[in-house]
Amino acid sequence: MTIFSIIFYVSIGILLCILYFHLSNLLFDFFSKKYSNESSLRAFIFIAPAFIILLIYILYPVVETVRLSFFDKYGRDFVGISNYIWAIKDPEFKRGILNNLGWLLIVPTLSTFFGLVIANLADRIWWGTIAKSIIFMPMAISFVGAGVIWKFVYDYRGPGDQQIGFLNAIIVSLGFEPQAWITIPIWNNLFLMAIMIWIQTGLAMVIFSAALRGVPKEMLEAARIDGASELKIFTSIIIPYLNQTILVIWTIITIVVLKIFDIILAMTNGQWQTEVLANLMFDWMFRGGGDSGRGSVFAIVIMVAVVPIMILNIYRHKQEEKI
Amino acid sequence: MLKLIKLVLAICVSFVFFNTSANAGGHYTGPDLSGQKITISGPWLAPEDGYMREIAAIFEKATGATVEYGGSDSFEQQIVIDIKAGSPADIAIFPQPGLAADMAAIGGLSPLSNDVKKAVLDNYAAGQSWVDLATYPDQNGNDQFYAIFYKVNVKSLVWYSPDNFADNGYEIPDSMEELIALTRQMAADGNTPWCIGLGSGDATGWPATDWMEDIMLRTHDPSVYDMWVSNEMPFNDPRVLEAMNFFGTFALNDKYVNGGSKAVATTDFRDSPNGLFTSPAECMMHRQASFIPAFFPEGVEAGVDYDFFYFPAYSTKDLGKPVLGGGTLFAATNDNQATMEFLKFLLHPEPNEWWMAKGGFLTPNKNADLSKYSSDTFRKLGEVLTNATTFRFDGSDLMPGAIGAGSFWTGMVDYTNGKSAKDVADAIQASWDAIK
Amino acid sequence: MKKNLLSSFLAQFLLLVFVIVWIIPTFGLFVSSFRDKDLLAISGWWTSLITTQVNEIHRTVNMESQIQENNIYIIKENIFVKNSKKKISSFGITSKNINQFLVKETATLKDGSKLTVYENGDYIWKSQKPFKNKKGRRIFITASSPPKFTFDNYKEVLFKEGVGQAFLNTLTVAIPSTIIPLIICSFFAYALSWMKFFGRDTLLALIIASLVVPLQMSLIPLLSFYNDIGALFNISSKSYPGVWLAHTGFGLASTTFLLRNFIKSLPHEMMEAAKVDGATHYDIFLKIILPLSIPAFASIFILQFLWVWNDLLVGLVFLDQVPSEIIITAKLRELLGSRGENWEILTTGAFVSMTVPLLIFFLLQRYFIRGLVAGSVKG
Repeated sequence: MTIFSIIFYVSIGILLCILYFHLSNLLFDFFSKKYSNESSLRAFIFIAPAFIILLIYILYPVVETVRLSFFDKYGRDFVGISNYIWAIKDPEFKRGILNNLGWLLIVPTLSTFFGLVIANLADRIWWGTIAKSIIFMPMAISFVGAGVIWKFVYDYRGPGDQQIGFLNAIIVSLGFEPQAWITIPIWNNLFLMAIMIWIQTGLAMVIFSAALRGVPKEMLEAARIDGASELKIFTSIIIPYLNQTILVIWTIITIVVLKIFDIILAMTNGQWQTEVLANLMFDWMFRGGGDSGRGSVFAIVIMVAVVPIMILNIYRHKQEEKI
Repeated sequence: MLKLIKLVLAICVSFVFFNTSANAGGHYTGPDLSGQKITISGPWLAPEDGYMREIAAIFEKATGATVEYGGSDSFEQQIVIDIKAGSPADIAIFPQPGLAADMAAIGGLSPLSNDVKKAVLDNYAAGQSWVDLATYPDQNGNDQFYAIFYKVNVKSLVWYSPDNFADNGYEIPDSMEELIALTRQMAADGNTPWCIGLGSGDATGWPATDWMEDIMLRTHDPSVYDMWVSNEMPFNDPRVLEAMNFFGTFALNDKYVNGGSKAVATTDFRDSPNGLFTSPAECMMHRQASFIPAFFPEGVEAGVDYDFFYFPAYSTKDLGKPVLGGGTLFAATNDNQATMEFLKFLLHPEPNEWWMAKGGFLTPNKNADLSKYSSDTFRKLGEVLTNATTFRFDGSDLMPGAIGAGSFWTGMVDYTNGKSAKDVADAIQASWDAIK
Repeated sequence: MKKNLLSSFLAQFLLLVFVIVWIIPTFGLFVSSFRDKDLLAISGWWTSLITTQVNEIHRTVNMESQIQENNIYIIKENIFVKNSKKKISSFGITSKNINQFLVKETATLKDGSKLTVYENGDYIWKSQKPFKNKKGRRIFITASSPPKFTFDNYKEVLFKEGVGQAFLNTLTVAIPSTIIPLIICSFFAYALSWMKFFGRDTLLALIIASLVVPLQMSLIPLLSFYNDIGALFNISSKSYPGVWLAHTGFGLASTTFLLRNFIKSLPHEMMEAAKVDGATHYDIFLKIILPLSIPAFASIFILQFLWVWNDLLVGLVFLDQVPSEIIITAKLRELLGSRGENWEILTTGAFVSMTVPLLIFFLLQRYFIRGLVAGSVKG
């Protein structure tokens, strides 16, 4: 496609959208002068597109996925809960759950921890802003791009060859055997998680950085005058003060991690026992003709895992609105 | 004036050219089909679509019919939609038999006549194998012959550097026993015999399935292979385990494979043959299909820097010369005179020889003139095919997608990573049971 | 005081360690994308400034180039095709012993002919009998190759590998997929914060709930929905407008949520006043809310744009994987699969895919961070 047709396509798409709002509102203005009842019909114009899109893209898929999970691989015949029974017996499903659990335990915890430590360090050092920029940068990179970056770091060559992967080069220079990092079962999960931690720490850091500014200066100074060590201040003043923020960040990263997919697809494609639920779902959907019933079961499991966080979110939001 | 001279010259030259080409080889002559039109749809895009149209032009010229070819890279989805909607082209070019069988089962294909079948039996090396691969049950469950193979590839090949063999005094093995002995010899000399790489992105593991299939054909009767592919014989049958362990004697031995067994699953299959061309050589041999030279390093030359030999069979087992390969099938989706004639036309040497001269084309047709191949390498590849006593299609392509493009691949990766053959085969069989 | 200095030093050191660990992977990629591909394949990027030792195989020319001088047959040529900066240190004539001879030494071959190789690649091969070789003889050399940086990788990746086209495709996906939800969500957010209608609270709860619905869940149903629509109108089910709408759908909840929080915080006296003057909601929206919300728009624009640019799954599922539609992340994944260890292609491809996000990141970091913080502290 040429650049011109791209520009053409893009402008048409955007124009149509603007036209809808403008024309419908003008029409409404025109008619509402005759029958004046501003609010509810106007509200309808304002929310209709968004509502329809949400209906099609969020609500309908949720309902449909639930339905499909009870049907056969073509989505035609009702098969009861046999897809679920299959899943429970499937060893890959079990491993997927275990791997997902590992990700959920390790990635949010370490990202939050590193983020907090770095935010705290950087705020007290003159070149802290630059440091923060660098650590935040991975947030802008796609998971696949990050995959390439780290695949390069983990690259493996046979023992006799010159290593071009950074990690193996270090290992070899220390006198050890090079390792094919992403193929060592169980441990390879940690090497994949490292990528996610590398990305998400930046997010935790900037949010903590913003929150740290809210810590009352007097409290810190009072503690310093009392001769408390920096570590002591960190653990007994800053951490308790940031309690809420820690929880929020932990939740955000947990949601991201629960849906982890791209990194594994790019790095191992679920081989060497690194599969997680989202990748299993993708495989069952698209590999070898696909099985929408079994694929949907994985989607439902992910969904169910998110529900508690969802309820917590709505509850918290209601609390805030009240204040 | 100058223009006129040029024009006259051009006409003369083209006339001469025409004449010489007209004198070469046997010509296809067909019935008069003037006014009839056939359409062909297939997966080929440039440059193959151009070749296909030129082949069609030969047919058009001989019969007066018109032929149209349309290529699509989503052919496999498109043909299903078209056949189900009842509006397919007249001829469909299937990249693998599985899809053709599926279409036959829903009544989407027209069976071919017995003389076409006989022509394949008579003219193709290992003719019975080619007929069997194109015979599927129709919608009533009756076996019918549906398609002819045109443009095939060979997998049972071992690539090597003639110079490296000469430097070390190695001979090309004629039997599996000799190949095993040669492998030992190389390791004893301090050379690494094999380069094996299973990496292929999403499809990581498939090169090992080719190994398995080649070994199965060399250790057991072809009927065992067929039972294995159709799962009449379970995947964890001792004969399959035996083949897997045989692959393991090469792939799991750190001395036999470049980079050690750890590197097998992580090395990309496209990069793995590079070891043949490094200084010093990282490996001596590489078993891979006829398409692999496309991935060799820039500037290496066929017949000079590399060559191949047939992945040999056991001399002690009476299994002939089995060849593993793949190929495209032409099947009729509408039954009319011109369509059937076009399929017969493809069995004639002329369309085969024409494409042989272009390269990238192999044919099992014994009547095709081998001297028409574009290079010696292709000629020798063609000989492997025409010398075959048994031909079998890539088994993983014939298995259901969840196995042949799923658990078989991942299973072989697990195997090279240290899992036992028994556990791997059990897991593959379990996944097969799960989709039944 | 001394203790403070020590702790400050410790803090600086610790932070430096973090920074180095965080920057090294990206830096390695960046350096590698400019390295010569042959060097990249055999040496780590950290050695890119020093001379690398390479082993190569070359062939002599064949018998046709021989000349005869005083009954001696001579073949004389240079090993390297074009002027090379490589310096040969040793050579060999069989793969079994690739550095048997130092440069300028003379090797005696089996047939009695003599071969000498010089540092710059010149070689002389002399024989008493005429040469009969149809193919060139192999010479194995060990040479030192000076550092070499090049833009060739970029040329290759952008024009030959189709990454350039994928880059444009991604733009075609990303711009409407950012602007359309922005337009739709701005009206939606306005309605949610300032208009009264039945079911407003439920709708808000629904949006917060959909913030966490896993995207993967929507794929199967939406794809079959798209297929049905495609079959109904006999059009392709995978198209750019389809992806725009999909991204709009998936991004709408979070953009609306962020914007609503912002609009809600605007002083409502202004609106009350406008209303008294007889302005409609549309007027208020266009003339008051929109101009005030520009900083919020900037943040949301960046978040959504980056999200779409970096997305893989939606592009993978809702677009055909053909050159005219494939997006850059999908292309990169394809290259990971098809170009395995051609690191010059992968590193460069990855870097090309990162240019836009990094540009936005460094130019508009402030808005980016503001958006993230707003989204998280509230969300």
